[in-house]
Amino acid sequence: MAGPVLGQRARTTGASVVVLDRDRSLVEAARRDPAQFDALYRKYLAQVYSFALYELGDHHAAEDATERTFLRALAALPRFREQARPEDGPDASTFRVWLFRIARNTVANERRSRRRRPATSLEAALGAGLAVADPGDVEADAVTRDEATQALRAMRALPDDRRRALTLRFVEEMSTAEIAGVLGRSEGAVRVLIHRALGAVARELGTERETRGPGERR
Amino acid sequence: MSDDPEIEALVADRYLDALLAAVDRHADDSPSHAGVDPEIREAARVLRASLVRVHPSFRFEERLAGRLADLAGAQARPALAAGGGGGAVVPFPGASPAVFDADPLVAAILAGDLDPSDAEAMDRATRQPVPRRPLIVGGAITSAAISLVGVAYVAWRASRPAGHGTGQSNRAMARAARAARARRAAAGVSALLVATASTAAAAVGTAGPGGPA
Repeated sequence: MAGPVLGQRARTTGASVVVLDRDRSLVEAARRDPAQFDALYRKYLAQVYSFALYELGDHHAAEDATERTFLRALAALPRFREQARPEDGPDASTFRVWLFRIARNTVANERRSRRRRPATSLEAALGAGLAVADPGDVEADAVTRDEATQALRAMRALPDDRRRALTLRFVEEMSTAEIAGVLGRSEGAVRVLIHRALGAVARELGTERETRGPGERR
Repeated sequence: MSDDPEIEALVADRYLDALLAAVDRHADDSPSHAGVDPEIREAARVLRASLVRVHPSFRFEERLAGRLADLAGAQARPALAAGGGGGAVVPFPGASPAVFDADPLVAAILAGDLDPSDAEAMDRATRQPVPRRPLIVGGAITSAAISLVGVAYVAWRASRPAGHGTGQSNRAMARAARAARARRAAAGVSALLVATASTAAAAVGTAGPGGPA
């Protein structure tokens, strides 16, 4: 990831800005005393675990991948370089991007070593988490369980990069810039990846509705 | 690639930014969706509601916290590796063996030989057989010696015609077994671990000879 080292003044078109990383204080504390890594671990545990679960579709495999991700991150922390770009904004965390790059590599190796798709479905692994109707939903109607199942099935059928981009966008709520850092792609490429992935999910949902008929949809 | 897909993707990306931000602040207004395909909007709505974040079990969380604390303790310790190029006897470092059992690559990462954020390096590393733990413990010395004798025996037998020298091979095996047993009795180091200088350095998070600082 190119960019100025955090804390240094970066010259951009004549102006100078100080780039901050929102995890900087936690990272520095962990560097001084590795036991302080616990704060970063607690902060990002659910995010890394969720990413692994959506990728692997199995709780045990997700736990293994999560464990390896954090052990590797702690072992490599002395060599982590905090970097950010002015356009990443004040909420950017290059530590989170770096952590998810480790998670992506760990999950990719895990998927390859298993040599097949998990026997249990992601829908089953998520169980009751499906079809959560948020009371503060910005849309008028809630998502039905069938729609959620269909969407997850469509996601599972996507190529790896598209599926990962959707997971990082919707589950982790990462910006396009952060996803680009995790996947090692340009921001434009990530936007196109997500747009095409949404199109594939939309087609799957549309096909399902046509099969069931308009009267069956909430 | 034409400009159109990129522009459509950019417009959809702005819509997703607004949709996710609206959820964060529990807003009851729908984000502006001018120019966004209705089917894309619908897919985004379903995914936003369906893709929930999941927390692992408390038991898993605490177990991993314990392992991380073990590893943190090992990182904080001063270097324990002894000098010398061939091998050295060192006390057991702070990290629990469970850490290295959980991830055999941690030792290489600690030593600075492997970057876990580098996809290609990790791909290469996971395709190669990795030594489980760079340590040999007590009685394992004997089994390793017997294994070496076994290899030597097979090589010796392969170089001989069939039915020739069988009695000699038995004598060679007996000598090797006696030597291993004598070494085990003389050592008496069941509480000590034997490692090469470089692997010991890896286990305690310091660079080996010639490695990065």
